[in-house]
Amino acid sequence: MMRQGEWLGLYVASVAVALGVSAILIRATGGDSLAVFDALIEGSLTGSGRWGLTLGAAAPMLLVALGTIVSARAGLVNIGQEGQLLIGTAFAVYFGFRIGGPGPFNLVVLLVAGSIGGALWAGVAGVLRFRRGVPEVLSTLLLVTVASQVTAYALGREWLLLASNSVGARNNVSEQLAEDNRLPNLNIFGNQIPSSFFLGVVFAVIVAFALARTVWGFQLRMLGRSPQAAQRAGVSQRSFGMRAMLTSGAFAGLAGTVMFAGGGFQFSNYKFVPGFSGNIGWTGLLVALVARERAMPAIAVAIAFGALRTGSSFVGSTGVEARVTDVIEGLLVLALLVPPAVMFIRDRRRARAATTART
Amino acid sequence: MSQAPPDRTGVDAHTAPTPAVDLRGITKRFGAVTACDSVDLTLSRGKIHGILGENGAGKSTLMKILIGLVLPDGGSIHIDGEPQQIHDPLAAARLGIGMVHQHFSLVDPLTVWENVALGEGSRLDPGAVRKRIGEIGDHYGLHIDPNARVGDLTAGLRQRVEIIKCLRRDPSIVIFDEPTSVLTPEESTTLFESFRDVVAAEGRAVVLVSHKLDEVLAATDEITIMRQGRVVEHLRTMNADARTLARAMVGREVSLRTERAALGLIEVDEADESLAAPAAASMDREPVLSIRHATAIGAQGAPVLDDLSLDVHAGEILGIAGVEGNGQRALGDLLSSLVRLSSGEVSVGGNVISTRTPGAMTAAGVGVIPEDRHDSGVVLDMTVAENLVLMTPQQVANRGVLDRAKLARRAEQMIAEFDIQCAGPEAPMWSLSGGNQQRVVLARELSYAPEILVAAQPTRGLDVGAIEYMTDRLRAAAAEGVAILLISSELEEILDLADRIAVMYRGAIVGEMLRADADLERLSLLMGGAAA
Repeated sequence: MMRQGEWLGLYVASVAVALGVSAILIRATGGDSLAVFDALIEGSLTGSGRWGLTLGAAAPMLLVALGTIVSARAGLVNIGQEGQLLIGTAFAVYFGFRIGGPGPFNLVVLLVAGSIGGALWAGVAGVLRFRRGVPEVLSTLLLVTVASQVTAYALGREWLLLASNSVGARNNVSEQLAEDNRLPNLNIFGNQIPSSFFLGVVFAVIVAFALARTVWGFQLRMLGRSPQAAQRAGVSQRSFGMRAMLTSGAFAGLAGTVMFAGGGFQFSNYKFVPGFSGNIGWTGLLVALVARERAMPAIAVAIAFGALRTGSSFVGSTGVEARVTDVIEGLLVLALLVPPAVMFIRDRRRARAATTART
Repeated sequence: MSQAPPDRTGVDAHTAPTPAVDLRGITKRFGAVTACDSVDLTLSRGKIHGILGENGAGKSTLMKILIGLVLPDGGSIHIDGEPQQIHDPLAAARLGIGMVHQHFSLVDPLTVWENVALGEGSRLDPGAVRKRIGEIGDHYGLHIDPNARVGDLTAGLRQRVEIIKCLRRDPSIVIFDEPTSVLTPEESTTLFESFRDVVAAEGRAVVLVSHKLDEVLAATDEITIMRQGRVVEHLRTMNADARTLARAMVGREVSLRTERAALGLIEVDEADESLAAPAAASMDREPVLSIRHATAIGAQGAPVLDDLSLDVHAGEILGIAGVEGNGQRALGDLLSSLVRLSSGEVSVGGNVISTRTPGAMTAAGVGVIPEDRHDSGVVLDMTVAENLVLMTPQQVANRGVLDRAKLARRAEQMIAEFDIQCAGPEAPMWSLSGGNQQRVVLARELSYAPEILVAAQPTRGLDVGAIEYMTDRLRAAAAEGVAILLISSELEEILDLADRIAVMYRGAIVGEMLRADADLERLSLLMGGAAA
């Protein structure tokens, strides 16, 4: 297939350019570029136990991306996953510790509460959009800031999220999740693979199937592509759009919950802290973008982004300045974003040429 | 294209001084279509010159040539006696030619004076711009608050802003391209009354492009009538009346469409009794579609449907004639559940259908071939198969899961039945030609056996073969008992297909007649807004 060749070529070319520029940059700042690339690969893949960590980091990114895909297909631009993730986690932490109960039961409470929290936060933007006509691009984005303030406030109050034994402690931290309440790891070929990753893959399959093969997905896609045709077909923008928004937020909330309760890559050692989200909400958005809003490719893209995260934590040990590491990470992200952008523009142009030739 | 009729009666006996604009033999082709066919036009200073014609008569193309937006294939342009090449709008502006466009080009969030100043290269001086707006207002009777936000203005006032924008450059030749399509009759009368005096006093040359008879009669000094890219008549307004103008505008030339219409008429003659009988019989039965006192408000705040009532019976084709922009689109949208009524009601088969519930019309059995198929007819980014079940995906699903095999089977069957040219069911919709996209719409809308089929401009942009296919299908559907509402701005199409004709003007039905009683003159008068 010509198109697949085109894709592969574009990815190889753009990653090669990114690596080339990175190498020049490392040399220029007095580092050893080969050592840096070695560290990247060792940290993400070849190092002992690193595979599990990479997949653990990929899991929440994938979940966020799946939510983004659902809302994007409905024609909604939800870019507030970072905030929905925070509020979702806050819900999970609050209800998890309030309700308690035995391990597996408590885990379910965590996951459900987290999803509901994320959905509610996205629902705020949804209500504004469908009742008041406020563009969701703005409201979701601005609600990120509100979410981080709200969670910071809650983390400072014992009756909300603050751990009861932390009086006088310097940081506002929630209690640590008990060991038997955490998401388990699966031991495969000597790697601890976190179950959160499998959860993500299962959801990716469900989302892909629902979008491509169900009436709901059909109507959602119709709504995203042509709201007028959808309205004629009885697909109400308000109710379908609202549900898509809630689903999108629920995935972000779930992502936060697996960061909190998941094994593998430890985001904050099973505690909820200020700045907990660690840009996973934003990265998940990028994953959806690079996967061109398709669920199955999002799995591979999420793993790539997860690998970048785990790998770059090893780069510091090569003596390269931390800022250079950030730049390399940024360049590689850009390299993954360029091919979809190029193809998008090319398809657009072809489609336009096709339609103008016809009319 | 048909041969040129030798009946051109253009005479310019009364142009003594050098005319402001002299167009000779202007020809412009777009592919196979000749938009302007050796058109001559002379504009004199101090006069308002009306250009009258149906949609697609070539009026707008001619004006675009004068303003430099379109380059002619042949012919010459003289401005004040000097031969000129007008390659772009800037060249036209240098020659003192200004145009008020049919569609607004205003920025809503900005104020009136900001919009007027927009696009000026020089240093911005708000005070001077406001003062100039005041001067123009006094001079032409176009008063407006320069500090008002354009988004808050009515359509009439926006039009005023457009005109001021044009006049600000002090053009000596002014073109109005259907400026009053959004104005109320009072607004347009006031506008042109004040305009006439100024034009005569200052020796400006003004062109008023329109398809409204009353307006052209009231505002102009001379009139040129165009039809199918040619000038068919040129006369002084004082010698004209609505009846002559209407006749000249519609004409009786032999065109491809009227040829077929003529053939259709022969058929009707043969089977006159048998065809007329069921149509008459259907009148006695209860209508399938009944619209009563429908009123809907458009985005501009003006009513797009204004107390409209109509009935369509089973097996009947009701043609809605009318000049475009008189609410036909809103009527189609109403029956697509895209427009809400502020008062009045729509019933299908005796049941009142809510206009507030998405999809209610489709569910009630109303099929629609929309005016703009890319808007609500097809989804270009979905496949042909998906587009063929767009309104009813449930029909190819089991418990909410699409049955791919069933979808493909059904699509293949419809592709074969309607002879849709495409790479297969999985081909993206955008890869199809316009005619085939229209077949997809037709196939789908007929597939769920609608009681009512709305066909809005169903043959627009299609080639002759596709037009024939569409009209045959519509006739066949009517023969099977579907009630068909044909909305078209092409009178020939309506005369060709409809059993009964209703004329739409300013959002209401202003006249109704049986096809057999249809009289072109009366139709044209009704379409032009003249009470008949």
